Amino acid sequence: METAPPPPVTTRGRRGRRRAPVVPRAEGSATVFVVLRRMRAPLITLITIFAVSVLGLSLVPGVDAQGQPARLSLFDAFYVMSYTATTIGFGEIPYSFSYAQRMWVTGTIYLTVIGWAYAIGSLLSLVQDRAFRQALTLRHVSRKVTRLREPFLLVAGYGQAGETLGEALDALGRRFTVVDISETRIDTLEIAGHRADVPGVVGDARDPHVLGVAGLGHPYCEGVLALTGDDEANLAVAMAAALLRPELPLVTRTTSATVAERMARFGAPTIVNPFDRFGDHLRLALRTPASYQLMTWLESGPGAELTPRGTAPAPGRWVVCGYGRFGRHFAADLRAEGLEVTTVDPSPAEEPSVVGDAADPDVIGRADLATAVGLVAGTDNDTTNLSLVAEARRTNPGLFVAARQNQPADAALFAAMDVDALLVPTEVVAHDAYARLSTPLLWRFLRELPRQSDEWSAGVVDRLLDACGRHLEALWKVRLTPEDAPALHPRLSRGGFRLADLLRDPADRDQTLLAVPLLVLRGDEATMAPGTDLVLEPGDELLFAGRAAVHREVEATLFIDGVADYLATGQRVPSSWIWRRLSRSTPAPDAPAAT
Amino acid sequence: MNLEKVVFGFFVLLAATLNFGFFLGDISDPALHNVYELFAALVVSLIATVLKFGDRTQIGAVHLATSLVADLQLVAATLTWAWAVHISSEGLTDVATASMVSLSGGALLANVVSVVLLVVETVSFQRH
Repeated sequence: METAPPPPVTTRGRRGRRRAPVVPRAEGSATVFVVLRRMRAPLITLITIFAVSVLGLSLVPGVDAQGQPARLSLFDAFYVMSYTATTIGFGEIPYSFSYAQRMWVTGTIYLTVIGWAYAIGSLLSLVQDRAFRQALTLRHVSRKVTRLREPFLLVAGYGQAGETLGEALDALGRRFTVVDISETRIDTLEIAGHRADVPGVVGDARDPHVLGVAGLGHPYCEGVLALTGDDEANLAVAMAAALLRPELPLVTRTTSATVAERMARFGAPTIVNPFDRFGDHLRLALRTPASYQLMTWLESGPGAELTPRGTAPAPGRWVVCGYGRFGRHFAADLRAEGLEVTTVDPSPAEEPSVVGDAADPDVIGRADLATAVGLVAGTDNDTTNLSLVAEARRTNPGLFVAARQNQPADAALFAAMDVDALLVPTEVVAHDAYARLSTPLLWRFLRELPRQSDEWSAGVVDRLLDACGRHLEALWKVRLTPEDAPALHPRLSRGGFRLADLLRDPADRDQTLLAVPLLVLRGDEATMAPGTDLVLEPGDELLFAGRAAVHREVEATLFIDGVADYLATGQRVPSSWIWRRLSRSTPAPDAPAAT
Repeated sequence: MNLEKVVFGFFVLLAATLNFGFFLGDISDPALHNVYELFAALVVSLIATVLKFGDRTQIGAVHLATSLVADLQLVAATLTWAWAVHISSEGLTDVATASMVSLSGGALLANVVSVVLLVVETVSFQRH
C-alpha cells in the first residue's frame, strides 16, 4: 500500500509558522507509575507469604474450648495473621492454639517479617534512587512553572552571566525560570535568597522538551534569554524559541560572528557579543570617562556601587596583546578612533605586528610599552593577562590598562591589580541583557548616552549621588496614562503641571522628593535628564532613580485624587463627598472641572 | 520465550480458571462452592493485579482496570462469606451462598475480559 510521504519537517516553520505545542516530557502521573512498577516484586512476595500463612493456619488441626477437634476458619486465620504479621499481637484467638498451630505461627512470623522488611526496604531505596528523585523534581518544577500566573522570563544557562542577571531581575521583582545542564548550579538557586521562587530545571537547553518544562510554551512567558557558555546551545535555544514562539523577544549571547549570523536567520533575536559591547564601552571610556562611569553604574542594576571615574588617556599608540577574536574586534575599534595599534600574538597566522607569546618579557619588550599610552591584556589566559598588567605597571606607571578576565575565580586578583577597565565577558552579557529587559526606557537612555558631553554625564552622576548615595537605588518608571495615573491624568490635560510639582512631597509640598528624572519619553521623542521646569503632558513616560520610599510618595500623587492639585497650588482639595459639598461655596482656584 | 510474559499469562489465566471453578455449580448450594477455592482465586487475582502495575500503555491500563474490578468483586464475595459464617446467626444459607457466588460471577466476567485482552495482545503482537 503506497501512501504519500509525510511533509518534510524542515519546511514546516517557513510555510505556516504555526505555533507548535511545546510538550513537556514529564507526563501526568509518571511518578506513581514508577513507584508501582518498582514495588511489583515486594508486593507479590508479601501477598504470597500472607496467602501461604493464612491457608496453612486454617488447615493445621487445633482444639476448641470444649476440647473438640476444630480448625480455624479462613477468616480467623486471616485475622490472626494480620495482627501477627504487623507485630500487633492480640494473642491466640478465638481459643488457645494447639502445638501444631503454634509451630506454624512461629514460622509465619519470621516469614512475614522478611516480607515486610523487603517491601519497606524497596520503598526506601526507591525514594533514595537518583532517577526517581529526578523524576520527582522534574514533576515538581513543571508543576511550579505551569502554575505561574505572572509574566516571567526563561533564562537558559545559569552560569556567571545568568546569576548576575537573575539577581538584578529579582531585585526589580521580575519572575524568571532557569534551565541549566549542571545540577550544582540549579542547587545554588535554592541557596540564593531570591525574593520570588525561581523554578530551575536541570537539563540540556538544546532539548526543546526541557525548554517546554521551563515554560517556553507558557502563555505568560514574556521573553527568552540564551546565556549558556556554549555557542551551539545558545543557537539551539534561539532556534527553538524562534520556531515555537516567534512572537517572544529573544536575547542570545555569542562571541562568534558566524554563530550570530546563523541565529539571525531565525527571526530577529537580540544578539549580545560581549567583546563588541566591551569595545563600545572602552571607546566611551576613552572619549568621555564620566559617561562611561554613568553607563556602567546604571547597567549594574540596583544596589551597585559607583566605580571611581577613570581618566581618559592621551591619544597615542596602544598595545593589544592577544589578537584573536577579542583582540581583532578591539584593535579595529581603536583604529576607528584614529589611534595607532601594536598587536601581539603567538600565532603568525593572525598577522599581528609582533609575533610571540605575550608572557615572554622579550616579546613584550619588542612591543615597546614605555612609549605606549594604553595596554589591552586580552589573551584568553588569566595568568598571562595578570603578568602583562604587572609588567606594564613596572615599565610605564601612567599606562591606561584594560584587562580581560576569563575565569570567575580570578576576580579578586584582577580587583587587586586595580586596572582601568576590566572586561568580564559574563558580566558584560548580564548587564547588557538587564539594560535591555528591565525597562525599555533604560535601554533608550543608555543608547542616547554616548551622544552626551562628559560634563553632562558628570552632572547626572552627582545628582544620582545626592539622591541615592554611593549604592544605586532601583530605577522606576512612571507612565502618565489614565490607567497608571488615574488621579493625575485629568489634571495634566489642563496643563501647567511641571515635573518639579510631581517631585514634591504629598504631605508637605515645600519638601522636594529626592529622585533623579533620567529620561522623559513623549511619543517617540526622548529628553535626557529633563529639567524640573518641564511641563508634563498626558501619555509621558518617565524614568526615575530614587529610593523605594520616594517611589511610593510619587505613586500617591498618581493615584490619590486631589494630591496633584495640592502639589501644584498649595490648596488642599477635599476628597470626600461631604467635604466637597461643604466647601463648594469656596471653590479652589484650580478645582477639578470634570467629574 | 520471555519468562515475564509466561508468568504474566499464567497468573491472568489462573485467576480466571480458579474463579470459574468456584463459580461452577448450583448457585445456592453451599456444598458445591469450596471457600478455599475462593481464597485461592482472590490471592491469585491480587498477584495478577500487582503484575499489571506500571504499564503505561492503553491496553495495560485496561488490564489493570479489569483486575481491580475482579479484586473488588472477590473481596466482596469473601466478606459475604465471612459475614454468613461468623456473624450471621443462620450460618451459610442458600441466600448467602447465592449472593457470594453471584459476586464471584461478576469477578469472573472481569477475568474473562482480562483473558480476552491477553489473547488480543498476543494475536496483534504476532501479526507484526
